[in-house]
Order: sequence, then structure tokens, then C-alpha cells
Amino acid sequence: MITTVIGNYPKIPDLPAPGKWRSTVERFQKGQIDETQLQHVEDEVTAEVINEQVQMGIDVITDGQIRWEDAQTHFARRLSGFSINGLQRYFDTNIYFREPVAEHAVAWTGPITVSEFTFAREHSSKPVKPVVTGPFTLAALSRNVHYPTLKEFAIALGRALNRELKALEAAGAEVIQIDEPAICQRKQDFDIFAEASRVLTDGVKAKKILCTYFGDIGGLYPQILDLPFDVIGLDFVAGYRNWDVVAAAPFTRELQAGVLDARNTRVESVDELVRAVRRLTAFVSPGRLMISPSAGLEFLPRSVARRKLAALVEGTKVANQDLKGART
Amino acid sequence: MSSRMNLPLLATSAVGSYPKPAYLLEARRKALRQQISKQELTALEQRATREWIQIQEDIGLDLLVDGEQYRGDMVAYFADEMEGFAIAGLVRSYGNRYYPKPVVVGPVGRRHPVTVEWFKFAQSLTKRPVKGMLTGPYTIAEWSFNEHYPTRRELVLELARAVGEEARDLEKAGARYIQIDEPAIHTRPDEDFELALEAMEIVTDGLSAYTVSHICYGDVPRIYPRVLKLAVDQLDLALKNEHFALLETFKQARFTKDIGVGVVDAHSHRVESVEEVAEGIRKTLQVIPAEQIMVSPDCGLKTRAIDETVGKLRAMVDGAKVVRNELTGTREPTRA
Repeated sequence: MITTVIGNYPKIPDLPAPGKWRSTVERFQKGQIDETQLQHVEDEVTAEVINEQVQMGIDVITDGQIRWEDAQTHFARRLSGFSINGLQRYFDTNIYFREPVAEHAVAWTGPITVSEFTFAREHSSKPVKPVVTGPFTLAALSRNVHYPTLKEFAIALGRALNRELKALEAAGAEVIQIDEPAICQRKQDFDIFAEASRVLTDGVKAKKILCTYFGDIGGLYPQILDLPFDVIGLDFVAGYRNWDVVAAAPFTRELQAGVLDARNTRVESVDELVRAVRRLTAFVSPGRLMISPSAGLEFLPRSVARRKLAALVEGTKVANQDLKGART
Repeated sequence: MSSRMNLPLLATSAVGSYPKPAYLLEARRKALRQQISKQELTALEQRATREWIQIQEDIGLDLLVDGEQYRGDMVAYFADEMEGFAIAGLVRSYGNRYYPKPVVVGPVGRRHPVTVEWFKFAQSLTKRPVKGMLTGPYTIAEWSFNEHYPTRRELVLELARAVGEEARDLEKAGARYIQIDEPAIHTRPDEDFELALEAMEIVTDGLSAYTVSHICYGDVPRIYPRVLKLAVDQLDLALKNEHFALLETFKQARFTKDIGVGVVDAHSHRVESVEEVAEGIRKTLQVIPAEQIMVSPDCGLKTRAIDETVGKLRAMVDGAKVVRNELTGTREPTRA
């Protein structure tokens, strides 16, 4: 049983330390520095958060998505066919993103996350997991003025992002996470989601994680297991109903279990983690289980995010011992 | 329910915050590093408040706000002044905008009136009415971490009692218009909407002041027409940034409250033209009668530059005047 994270990580340290990233972006926006200088600071901060995850003992890390303004525009700005509109609330959070607008046919014109992945791999002694926002979520959070239907839009995005997955694979990614939080909110569109997922993963041999959060997959289980993903990521905090959902049928995939609350500062005790793992191992064997926070940790201040990582690692370690003890 | 007293037809107001002048930003930075005293900071906050009151009078707004020059963030400000909160640290809102997110660490409640002194100060500077400005209980709860209360319900209702006491203190201090902002009200439209309604009942219970609630950035159609049950006289909503698409929603069920129509975008640098504002008001008039309409920006303007803010407020006031004249057929700025 190993530990991983979902994706983003706080970009700035706690007060009163000045956020290097934040002040650099401000200078960049005022035209005082150029993009190369901004990228240099983003590289530094990325290396810093990679180091933090490695030192805390996380087994499979991400680059913390320091360079992402948000999970939608990071892709929409780099695919063709989109313009970017005003602020929208990101699900039920107090986080806002700029709304992508599909004005023309969307297409992949070059790698988006590949250099981020290779940079992270060079700076990490632990395996790095690249993350791509899935076609369904990108479609659901964009305004579509080009395609006649959501289905056509999502499938076009699936086709475009398929090339991104292949580019990541060609760069050596062995595991790729696809984030699809929107499916928890729009279950009635499961057929569109399934079709877009098939197009997205077509011909991609890397291990694929379907990551859901901010809700449960009730109503989509067990059919979600038939989709071409090797690992399913579930949120057991906001999606606490998942505990009951997965009891309905054998869990035939690997599980990335989001059991630490990424959206509250209360840090879970080792005991809570051990109890959660016992419940999980009742339906998934430990070798097919990754333990993670319920979502990206950027909802928290940096110091709390670090404490969550510590709790994740310590809790999983004790849970592993607990399981060994139970078997002997 | 209260009347709008003697405000003119299509009266203009603002949502709450205005940008802080450079000298105040600098002073706040110094105060954080304890390089200047609390008194020195307060004096500059008062100076900035005086300037904004003057600017609003000069432009011709009918119902003024104090501009919240002494507040950092609409939730953290109340959390700082109340029992039961700590500040966890900075959390990103969007782009490189961060806010200090509070944590509920114990029973919440008021130590003392929070906004009353600033209200009295602002009102002493002008003969025009100034709005009392509060953040609603659901939004304070939703935009804080919670390490204390077992359920969101307990936290929200406890906060509602505290915000209600504050509203009554504002009224006692002379506020005839009180705004209770609930921009988070549609966060969990199925699970929590009844709770948010219940909380507002507690806040405005027994008030005779005219009450407003500002709601923005979220799925308003999802909570319409249920939101018409919110215990306030006026709903202040962002119409401009969605190009008045919400009017389609309001056609589905009669808008039974007063509305504060957001006619200028609070998050774009572009200053709208007078005609653009007038056109927005005319569109609204096709769906909601003039007697129910007040005119306002989409949201607080604190993220705009000062000249953008002044430009937007001026376009808003002049645009309202154009339509008011069309309706009354006179050059008189007020109703008889």
C-alpha cells in the first residue's frame, strides 16, 4: 500500500514569508520582468514543492501544478479553438477559474504538460505522475458555442487530449492521471463521459488513473469499472457515500482512495487513517491500493498541506504494519 | 418588509468595497510589519473613507457604502473581530489573488459590535444614506475551515445569531439600509439551501431597516425562484458579466422582491459606456417593473483600479439617469 497526492499544491509559503511566486507574477503582470524570468521562478518553486513531497515520504508525487493558473485554462489556452472568458466558481469551492469558450473546432497543436513532466522527473527521486484534465470535465466547465452537442464537444476534446497522453507516454510517463471531477455532478451524462474516455485513452498503454473528487460515483458503479482505466480515484470525504457505493459490487480495478480531507485544516489522526484503511482493505487488497488526500492540497495553506502529507505518510505506515499484524 | 423610503426611481448604489488608495495599501503593509501604529493606520482608513464618500457624492450615487477601506477580506474581517476564529493562512482564490481563510476553532460569537463605529463614522460624513454592510452567516461558515462544530448546520445557525445581533446594533445606530451578503448561498443548492434561508430569517428577524442581500458567482438559475424566499427586501445580483442572461431565468417566475441590478462588470478593466449601462437597465425593465429596480455594479469593486472604479460608477449613475428620464419624461432626477 503506497501513498500519493491528487495534484496541486500551495504555491506560496505561510505568512509572513513573502510568496516568491506571487510577487513574481505581480511583477510579470506589471511588465517589470519577462516570461523567461517568471518561468525561472516557477521552476524554482516547482523544485521546492517536489522536494517537500519527496522528503515527507510520498511514494508517487506530482509537480504540484505550480505553473497552472487553473486546471481548465492550462489546457484550453494551449489547445486551438478556445478563447478565455470571465471568472466562474470552481464546483462548490471558493476558488475561481476563467471560463474557456470553444469558439472553433478544438485541436491539439503541441505538447502541453510534457516539459512539466520531464522537469519534475529530473528533480524527483520518486516516481512522478503527470495529470491531465479529462475531456468531460473540460467540456463541462467550458462554454461551447461551436459544437452542436456536449457529446461532440467532449469527444473532440477526447481526441485532442489523446495526443497529449501519447506525448506524455512518448516522454516516458508510465502512469498518467486523468482528472474528471465533473462526472460526480453530471451523472446523467455518463454515456458521453464513457465515450469521451474511450477516445481519450485509445492506444495509450501507460497505466491510467481516472480521478474523481468533490462527490461520489453513486449511480455509476459498477459500470465505471468497464471504462479503459487501470485505477479509479475516489473521494471518500466529500463523496462519503462512496463507502456504500463500492460495497455494491466487487472492485475489480486498483483504487486511489482519497481519505484525508484536502479541504479542511483539521489534520486526521493516525487512528482515523488506520480505521479507513481497514475499511478499504475489506474490498481491495493492499497491493492494489493507493492512499491519498481527497483532492489537490491547494485548498490549504502550505503549512497545513505539509501536515496533511505527514499524516498521510505516518497513517499509511502504521496501517501497513496493522495489516501485517493482522495476517500473522 | 420595508419600503425604499425616499430613494428615487432606479436609485443607484454599490455592492460594498472600493479599491484602497496607494497610501493605504502601503500603510497596511507597514502595519503588518508593525512599523506603524494602529492609530496611524486608522487615521488613513478614515481619510480613504472620507475620500470615497466624497467621490460617491460627486458622482451622484443615491445610497452610499463606506467602501470597506478598513477591511481586508469580507469573511476574515468578521472572523478577526469575533470569538471562535483563528486565521489559517493564505489560500488562493484565483490567478495570484489570495485571501486569509479563517478557521473555526471554538464556539463562535460576538465580543462587541463589529461594524457599528465605521457605519457611524461614514454616515457622519454625508446627508445621503449609507448602507450597513454585513457578511451573511452561510458565507462566513462556507468560506471558513471548521475544526470545531460537528455539523455545518450548528455553525451556520450560531453565526446567524451573531450576525443578527450586529444587524440590530446597526439599526440602533441609525442604519436604515442593511446589506447582508451571501455570495456563497448557492454552494450546495440541494443540501443546504433551506439552511441558508433559515439562517437569514434569524439575521433579519425584527429589523425595520430595508434589507439587501448580494449574491454572485454561482448558479443563480439553480436557486431561482426559491431564492425569492430569502428574508430580505432586495436581492442584489450580477447581471452584466453574464450579459443579462439571468433575465431569462426571471421570466420563468415573477421576480417578487426588489432587485439590485449589476450593470457594470466588477472584474474587467474596461469601463462601460453610459449607453451600455442604459441598455442593460432597459433590458431589465422588460422583465421587472422600475419600482422594484435599483442599479448597482456586479460586485464589490476592490480589485479594480481607482480610475476604473470611478469610471464605472459614473457610467452607472449617468446610465440610470438616462433611463430614469426616459421613464419620467422629465429632467427631474427624483420622483415627485
